[in-house]
Amino acid sequence: MKHSILKTTVAALALAVSAGAALADKAEGQLNVAFTKELENVDSYFNSSREGVVMQRAVWDGLIYRDPATNEYKGNLATSWEWIDDTTLEFKLREGVTFHNGEAFNADDVVYTVNFVADEANGVKTQRNVNWMKSAEKIDDYTVRIYLKDKFPAAIEFLSGPVSIYPNEYYAEAGPTGMGLKPVGTGPYKVVSVVPGQHFVLEKNEDYHDSPKGQPAIDKVDIRTIPDVNTQIAEMFSGSLDLIWQVPADQAEKLGQMGQFTVANESTMRVGYLNMDAAGRSKMDPNPFTDVRVRQAVNHAIDRKTIVAALLKGQSKVVSTPCFPSQFGCVQDVTVYDYDPEKAKALLAEAGYPDGFETEFYAYRNREYAEAIASYLNAVGIKTDFKMLKYSALRELNMKGEVPLSFLTWGSYSINDASAMVSQFFKHGSLDDARDDQVLADLNVADSATDPDTRIEYYDKALKRITAQAYWAPLFSYNTNYVFKTSVNYTPTADEVLRFTTMSWN
Amino acid sequence: MAESMTNTATDKLDPLLEEITGPTPGQLLWRRVFGHRGLMIGAVVVGILTVIAILAPLLAPHDPYAQSLLARMKPPVFLGGTWEHPLGTDHLGRDYLSRLIYGARVSLLIGVVAAAISGLIGTAMGVAAGYFGGRVDAVVTFLINVRLAMPVVLVALAVVAILGGSLTVVICVLGLLLWDRFAVVMRASTLQVRQREYVAAAEAIGASVPRILLTEIMPNIANNLIVVVTLEMAHAILLEAALSFLGLGVQPPTPSWGLMVSEGKNMMLFEPWLVLIPGAVLFALVLAINLMGDGLRDVTASENRS
Repeated sequence: MKHSILKTTVAALALAVSAGAALADKAEGQLNVAFTKELENVDSYFNSSREGVVMQRAVWDGLIYRDPATNEYKGNLATSWEWIDDTTLEFKLREGVTFHNGEAFNADDVVYTVNFVADEANGVKTQRNVNWMKSAEKIDDYTVRIYLKDKFPAAIEFLSGPVSIYPNEYYAEAGPTGMGLKPVGTGPYKVVSVVPGQHFVLEKNEDYHDSPKGQPAIDKVDIRTIPDVNTQIAEMFSGSLDLIWQVPADQAEKLGQMGQFTVANESTMRVGYLNMDAAGRSKMDPNPFTDVRVRQAVNHAIDRKTIVAALLKGQSKVVSTPCFPSQFGCVQDVTVYDYDPEKAKALLAEAGYPDGFETEFYAYRNREYAEAIASYLNAVGIKTDFKMLKYSALRELNMKGEVPLSFLTWGSYSINDASAMVSQFFKHGSLDDARDDQVLADLNVADSATDPDTRIEYYDKALKRITAQAYWAPLFSYNTNYVFKTSVNYTPTADEVLRFTTMSWN
Repeated sequence: MAESMTNTATDKLDPLLEEITGPTPGQLLWRRVFGHRGLMIGAVVVGILTVIAILAPLLAPHDPYAQSLLARMKPPVFLGGTWEHPLGTDHLGRDYLSRLIYGARVSLLIGVVAAAISGLIGTAMGVAAGYFGGRVDAVVTFLINVRLAMPVVLVALAVVAILGGSLTVVICVLGLLLWDRFAVVMRASTLQVRQREYVAAAEAIGASVPRILLTEIMPNIANNLIVVVTLEMAHAILLEAALSFLGLGVQPPTPSWGLMVSEGKNMMLFEPWLVLIPGAVLFALVLAINLMGDGLRDVTASENRS
């Protein structure tokens, strides 16, 4: 009873305050958005955060665009493309496009950008995004060829994602620092001000070309960095914010019940999983995780359905593969482990641990989920010494192979291809705790084959082997909650990218 | 205020009887203790919480570690919940009352043990400095200054970040950090007592140094020690809560009040009781210990004895 009175009071207060503010916003046509983290660098090639990806899609364009609704590839800065051979792509470019600073877009920009980012010496932050390209060559003003180092079937996907085209004259002069301070692209929004750590302001590009991204409707977007979710919510109440995202499930649910906000939920490609030291790289001795029965026991011990239903909610799903189900090659016909604590105990006993064992358990995000997982493990006798680290610290430990058991996640950079996840972790790299030769061989074939059927066949083999051996315990996919005022019209997409272009005022 | 009240209370007792026999010093002490309201309130609260902590397994209605994800954040009885969970459940569906009860163990354990460790270190240093003077005093004073120059929370954070948080680490870190007030107070008290005739007398009859320290000095500075012990206990409990709140104290699933506040923080706008309940209990314990310390100082202070 008291509870509802409290809620009504909060809601009434919020309404009273927001009424004035909302009117002012609409008059100016400015959308106020908050990000939890600050941008590392506005120059998208020197940034690896999700916030930077959002900026990149708003300010710049790629040659190709993948329609998030249909997953169909459409020409953006290129109008058409074709494979000349396995390692050569030829593009016809769109004519009449100009950059925000007035510079005309043509083949020189593409050639300059590709040659710049493909050169490892220039230090692009996420090398995987660009290191498959060798160079680019201008055929004529509106025709360009991109040469690949090796066969790379996911090239189109990458060109529609992280590879955006920069203005050659401006970039040559300003460099990454200048681009970070005063970004110039061809995108639907231009950057009018950047105050690092505080906010940046985007303004509608009135001369935006006829792009598959659509034409921007909202005049101005002001994005502020507000690290604390409670502060963001308080600002939503007071009306000084119009849209927040990545809102934790519990809070989003409560905000939805208040009736004055739209709460939209979309799945993301991020998959949470438990990584186990199957190859025995850590100092743990004896290392129970080298026994397949122990790894299967871990898989059986966790009630993933309940975790998804009670903690993640929304569009999250139980995942049984070491890749996101929508990714190309992420075959779902694999060994699935049901929640069965009795079986888990039996497997542990069979492996010689009738009373369970004690292990370090590392995590870096979603403490709540990690605690729930630890509690399930404790219930079957696996006692956890819980350690919460920063992402970079845990990644370093993982690379050194010093982690027996950890709760990790991977977002695949929103690339809709299984190679972006399974091949990232099972090809004997520093993060591979399975080190299975057979999996390596299968993935090598799958990653470089150009024939889709061959790729599927070999991913299928690799995934079957990985799940049968229970190298990981794949858990669930993540979702993102978007909360915005009812005056904002927006339909989020499944790739965890905020698209201001598709937003409008009601 | 409290002192004058105590005195008037004593005066009223039975002046005639007192004139004839006169109460013993022990009787006087107890009279002052029972007449001191703050001390009584503090002692009762601390006493109750101690009993709760010791009897936790008998009192807790549920297993504090048993999670039930389908019964998350059930409200407490007074906000429309059920008696199944009188204080509701936390973000993993664990019984809040049971976690609160077990949390008392963590808080009191840390308070008592950290105060004991730092008390031992600080008293030894302070008494040595006060009694021997000279170079010993110079060294101890230097160490106290060094220690006072270090911000406790920052050092504790750094150490815990390097060693990893656990109950043992937190106790040790706090025990090794909080001895400064003991050293300062014990040194000053020893300096005073050192000048007294009875110490000179003991020295004159050829008593050994340990004997003088233990039988002449210590009993006469013990009242100051007790006060510092209570203050440092409260200090240690608060620091543990702060460290746990920052995720660097005791690790989950151990129930700790600081951790509970931290876990409830995200839902503060919608379910404020998640923060208020552990916060209130923490406040009550620290306040009670401080009241007890103040009261003990009042009733044992020498000006009250005559």
